[in-house]
Amino acid sequence: MSTKLKSYHLDKLIAFVGDDPDAIKNMVGIFLHTTPELLETINESYKQKQPEQMAKAAHSLKPTLDVFGVDSVYDVIRKIEQKAKNATLDDELAGLINTLNGVLETVFEQLKKAFVN
Amino acid sequence: MDAFRIFIVEDDMLYGEMLRHHLALNPDNEVHLYNNGEECLKNLYREPSMVSLDYSLPDMSGLDVMRRIKKEHPEIPVIIVSGQEDISTAVTLLREGAYDYFVKDDDVKDRLWNVIKKIRENLQLRSEISYLKEEIGRKYEFRNVIKGNSPSIKQIFSLIEKSIKTNISVSITGETGTGKELVAKAIHYNSNRAKKPFVAVNVSAVPRELIESEMFGHEKGSFTGATTRKIGKFEQAIGGTIFLDEVAEMDLNMQTKLLRVIQERELTRVGGNDLIKIDVRLIVATNRILSDEVKKGNFREDLYYRLLGLPIELPPLRYRGNDIILLAKYFVDEFCQENKMKKLSITESAQQKLMKYHFPGNVRELRAIIELAAVLTDTDKVDESHISFNSVDAAGNLLMEENTLAEYTRQIITYYLQKYNNNVLLVAKKLDIGKSTIYRMIKEKQIIT
Repeated sequence: MSTKLKSYHLDKLIAFVGDDPDAIKNMVGIFLHTTPELLETINESYKQKQPEQMAKAAHSLKPTLDVFGVDSVYDVIRKIEQKAKNATLDDELAGLINTLNGVLETVFEQLKKAFVN
Repeated sequence: MDAFRIFIVEDDMLYGEMLRHHLALNPDNEVHLYNNGEECLKNLYREPSMVSLDYSLPDMSGLDVMRRIKKEHPEIPVIIVSGQEDISTAVTLLREGAYDYFVKDDDVKDRLWNVIKKIRENLQLRSEISYLKEEIGRKYEFRNVIKGNSPSIKQIFSLIEKSIKTNISVSITGETGTGKELVAKAIHYNSNRAKKPFVAVNVSAVPRELIESEMFGHEKGSFTGATTRKIGKFEQAIGGTIFLDEVAEMDLNMQTKLLRVIQERELTRVGGNDLIKIDVRLIVATNRILSDEVKKGNFREDLYYRLLGLPIELPPLRYRGNDIILLAKYFVDEFCQENKMKKLSITESAQQKLMKYHFPGNVRELRAIIELAAVLTDTDKVDESHISFNSVDAAGNLLMEENTLAEYTRQIITYYLQKYNNNVLLVAKKLDIGKSTIYRMIKEKQIIT
């Protein structure tokens, strides 16, 4: 996995809150606090076979990932939500969740490196 | 303007913070963020100017929150911002009274910004309108509008008070310039319909062939030239008052249609089929004597009784005694104030001149006379030289100046000769005097023909 390329971009966030370093740092803090929780919910609800919970978490995660420019999972998160809504807990879903975990792990690391020091 | 208070109800912490930060960039916005529906509802007492509501909240749905907001504060605009992309949800929300519906995407901030701008403009307009309505109410506080202490005008005050308390139709009669429309407005703006429209139609000013469409509206294409649908005066006045001035000028055909609308309390636009219910208070005015018009067959009797309601007969100014001076002083003060002039007084001789005049144009004429006098004077006084009467009714001025009987006779005969084209025989007959008297006066050049 390459860690040289950024897996996120903040263009949309900056467009939203303005070029205000404090505000951006604050938003990154909130992202790093809430996103792992939602990801955890998705993982757990797959294990526990609770598609409703998964659909909710995926739904919440969708706009957050858009704002943080995690574009590589744009389709992934939508598919996860759709499959959870249809209660299709199949292998493809497992694969999608796996991809999501991988990408977001990288994003968390990169963001921590860039902002939390 | 007070701070524009925005409630953001958003369980997604990040999105909520972003919205808060973004909206707070405008210092006029006071932004409050709540993470669930209950929190928002508990804080409604703060009277937000708008609420931005996430559709999926942890404790209840956005629809439920909106319903509860609308139940208590129907005037607060609610905008739904949601990750939901389902069209039927959006339609339901808009039907239930959402001001707008956005999906959380890149455009959300611009859309929100625009919608806030619109709501602010709307609020400003609404506050302006309610201010203006109050102003109009004050303006037409009827004792501010109709001035006077004479017994005849006090009688009018008592009738106006009676008409305010009920929805009874009112028919106002009186000579030109006695203030019929003012009385109609005073009734409307002091009644419980004051917040609804007052619509005035001068029946004689509308061409005969257009009057029906003017009153009841028309549908597109109902006749040549009807390129769009038109809402008639009656429909415009729903909930309020319609004032039909010079109602005696209405032709019999239109009278029949009007009677039907009044009786059925519903109308059909010209060329249309739909029946439209109308709740409108009717006030009519005329300077003719309607009962005479009924006798002559110019006015339908059944309509006459429908319209008569509470009759208010406005007295001519010449029968209102000292009200002439009271009004003259009021008009001169008003004129000076409006034109930023120093205060003017009216001299005793000017007052006497006014009191002797018969005012065929009534209060309207008095006002014009006084305004002209206020312009003509070079001092701080209006005296008799500034008061000039330009009445078209010359004969009425006869008694203005004190004269000998011979002089009165001369003036009367001159007036009649002018009126009857110097036909001495006819004038002699009309005045019941000998023709030789007139010939003698002409010969002695007492009368110049």
